[in-house]
Amino acid sequence: MATTSAARPGDRVVRAAARRRASDALYTLTIGLLAGVGLLILVGPVVIVLLTSLTESRSIRFPPSGLSLQWYQLLFDPVSSRPIHRAALNSLQVAAVAMAAATVLATLASVAIGRRRGRWVRALDTFFMSPMILPMLAFGLASLMYFTLLGFRPSLTLIAIGHIVVVAPFVLRTTSASISQLDPAWLESSASLGAGWFYTFRRVTLPAIAPGIAAGAFLAFVASLDNVPISLFLAGPRSDMLPIRMWGMMESTLDVRVAAVSGVLIATVIGLMLVMERVVGLTRRLRG
Amino acid sequence: MIHRPVTRRRLLAGAAAACGASLIPARAHARGSVTAAMYPGTWEEAYRTHVAPALKKAHDVDLEMTPLFAVDQIAKAQAARGAPPFDAFVLDPGPRVTAIERGLFERFDAKRLAALAQLPKDATDEWGVTVAAQVVGIAYNPKKVPRPKAWTDLLKDPWVSRLGMTGFQTTYGTVSIIEISRQLGGSETNVEPFFTEIRKVLPKIAAIGAPASMPSLFQQGQCDITYTNTQTVATLRGRDVDVEFVTPESGAVAFFTTMHIAKGSRAADNAYKYFDTVVSAPVQAALMQPPNNLIPVNRGVKLAAGLPMTSLDEMASFVRHDWSKINPLRAGWIERFNKEVAK
Amino acid sequence: MTAPAAAGALGVPRRPGGAGPWAEWQLALPLALAYAAFFLVPLLLLIAISAFDDETLTTVGFAQWRKFLGDPFYWKVILDTVKLGFYTVVATTLIGYPIALVYLGAGPRWQRVILFVVILPLLTSVVVRTFAWIVILGREGVINQAVLWLGLAPAPLRLLQTEHGLVMALTQIEMPLLLLPLLSVMSRVDPNLADASAALGASRWRTLFRVTLPLSLPGLLAGCMLVFASSTTAFISQFTIGGNRLVYLPLLIWQQSLVVYNWPLASVAALTLLVSVSLGVVAIAAIGRRAQAYAS
Repeated sequence: MATTSAARPGDRVVRAAARRRASDALYTLTIGLLAGVGLLILVGPVVIVLLTSLTESRSIRFPPSGLSLQWYQLLFDPVSSRPIHRAALNSLQVAAVAMAAATVLATLASVAIGRRRGRWVRALDTFFMSPMILPMLAFGLASLMYFTLLGFRPSLTLIAIGHIVVVAPFVLRTTSASISQLDPAWLESSASLGAGWFYTFRRVTLPAIAPGIAAGAFLAFVASLDNVPISLFLAGPRSDMLPIRMWGMMESTLDVRVAAVSGVLIATVIGLMLVMERVVGLTRRLRG
Repeated sequence: MIHRPVTRRRLLAGAAAACGASLIPARAHARGSVTAAMYPGTWEEAYRTHVAPALKKAHDVDLEMTPLFAVDQIAKAQAARGAPPFDAFVLDPGPRVTAIERGLFERFDAKRLAALAQLPKDATDEWGVTVAAQVVGIAYNPKKVPRPKAWTDLLKDPWVSRLGMTGFQTTYGTVSIIEISRQLGGSETNVEPFFTEIRKVLPKIAAIGAPASMPSLFQQGQCDITYTNTQTVATLRGRDVDVEFVTPESGAVAFFTTMHIAKGSRAADNAYKYFDTVVSAPVQAALMQPPNNLIPVNRGVKLAAGLPMTSLDEMASFVRHDWSKINPLRAGWIERFNKEVAK
Repeated sequence: MTAPAAAGALGVPRRPGGAGPWAEWQLALPLALAYAAFFLVPLLLLIAISAFDDETLTTVGFAQWRKFLGDPFYWKVILDTVKLGFYTVVATTLIGYPIALVYLGAGPRWQRVILFVVILPLLTSVVVRTFAWIVILGREGVINQAVLWLGLAPAPLRLLQTEHGLVMALTQIEMPLLLLPLLSVMSRVDPNLADASAALGASRWRTLFRVTLPLSLPGLLAGCMLVFASSTTAFISQFTIGGNRLVYLPLLIWQQSLVVYNWPLASVAALTLLVSVSLGVVAIAAIGRRAQAYAS
């Protein structure tokens, strides 16, 4: 047997190819399986929340006892759900402001330090990331003391400032990751072709790092929208925030509207994605 | 307008202006309002429905509420020392004692309450007024476990393997653990017997959770017995959850929820009007009705069926605790609980 | 320190006067100033508070530090907290990276679907998410029903309020933090490189470890840091899903600051968390630099 394989070198190639196929099949299987489990873990809890929000029963319960849209109806009822609407509006405003400010500030900062190496850059980077690491409960408490010392009273503006600080690291991290992968040759060639720096920044750098900025901005928006600890301390009487209101509804009454809020958020994002696809598709066609 | 092209820049500027404008707090309610801290959930809902309209009608005062649990109110008032973020507290006895110690209240003049005559004698003191009673006992799911009789049943089979526990963070948790200890030979200031007993049954206990997740844990069958107050039980029953309240043999625990004026408040006059409205007979009666289920303190209110007593006077026989003794020990108990319970 | 060779590395000009890379540095100033005003000062306040002996902040001293660092129980809590972050990073990477690979190989339509699935956890509030995980991990929950039905165990498993259960829940919650930076970097990796590697006869495993992984490393590291920092400090998820049997630093901070109002001790716990998590993040960055150096 051994002599045959030694005698015919073509055999070895065939066998190597077979091994290669087996290894590639194993690759597909492993990656596919892990990704499948991952997607299941991502989707599972969300499906449970959505099903729960469609329940007929009077409290959050799984499995739902029957399907109905009554809780969505109640959620959109302008009278009985008015406090929820007011809180949602506050939260959306704060999230929009926090996202916008954090995106601008953190993108500028990551352009400054994204491609550099060295001790100082690393120190600055760690400093910029540290709000993520400092427990927000402690930061909220300290911020309230600080703002009181300065003579400010809790308000939406203070909440927005607090949120900017804690969501900026999301943008910084995602944008820096995109920048570090940018090919410097592009920038050099743009500069050598006589393009001004702002032109280069706008036409070369920005489009290249846009996915990173977008990912960070999105993370910043939802992190602000779902923040409890900072809002808890910096909220005043008229700055009721959505997650805090939902917390009370869930803890004392198992109110199903809490689940319905997630349903609305998910539907909104699906809607936005479809619209964006239309718009992006349209502009692409117009350009082409 | 139509002919002007809407540029992206103009849209952004408009959006920014709109956001900026709305972030500046409206200060249109300088006169005739009071800002009250309020327990989120049932309490806030009930006060919005019944107290706010009554206060507006009787005194033309607007009620603004900041949803905060008792512990958060103390932290917030203390962090903002001298410039309280609200005018009125609503507190359980533990945080109340802390706030008195830390000087967070204005002195209270009970004579300024019109409804004073209808309140029990000890309902007011130099610091504030009692606005509701809470009665703590055992809650269980009658479809899953037999009816328990005593506090100590919680740590026995078959209940212990279905028990959902919370620690000393909440008032109801603290008083329940004290009662279990008392039945085991301990006292208000000695919960050692509880820790000794818990060590034996720890692996069996179904859930040791955050107070916030207890209703969900109960509803989903993770635990079928726990300690809590009548209000929570009544509210959950109103939502079709299988739960029933039991008064333990040794008696249920009663404590009072009180309201206080924050030190440095600039709306003290309106705070008195607010308190007066809260304890008035019609408002107390409305707050007692489902889905609010708050136990009244006004003698003019006839108690609803389903409460563990038929008159306020019976509450004198309920177990009461001295929080000025409990408070100094609580930090140590919490630390001990962490260490005993952590795996 | 290695200064960037290219003139104005990101298209930002050097000052004609020879100010060098300084011009680019200025772009970091707005954020640095904002942080100095609204983050650094509160942080210093915390440090100051931690240097008081008593709860009413009258006696200066390090009694709280001594109490905290002298107790082996708290050292175990610190270790458990860091371990929780580590497990979560490993779990999210192990199942998150394959999702990114599938994303890379998918057509544009499927890419959008995957992207949507990835951001889904962010759209359910932390408040209901707790409920969903009770439904999944509970005694009568989804997993236990499946396990009993398949006959894998004679009695319901204890999953809720265990470390396993918590890591599983955190894996879902933190996955978007890993995948968003990873996908934004991966979508710019040249697919031709992987094809070329395959054409040269490399197996798919070899292509993964020698081509795709090194190229996507910046995104992966960014994601791991976010996941680590977020999972170690996620107080609400830790407490409501993990329960009181699992004690982590954020729980101590909450108890000390909001239940017993011992702010000095709360500050000590907060600063300890800050330091230990920073060390974790620095470690991730160091591993990343090693890996990058090794790959190139």
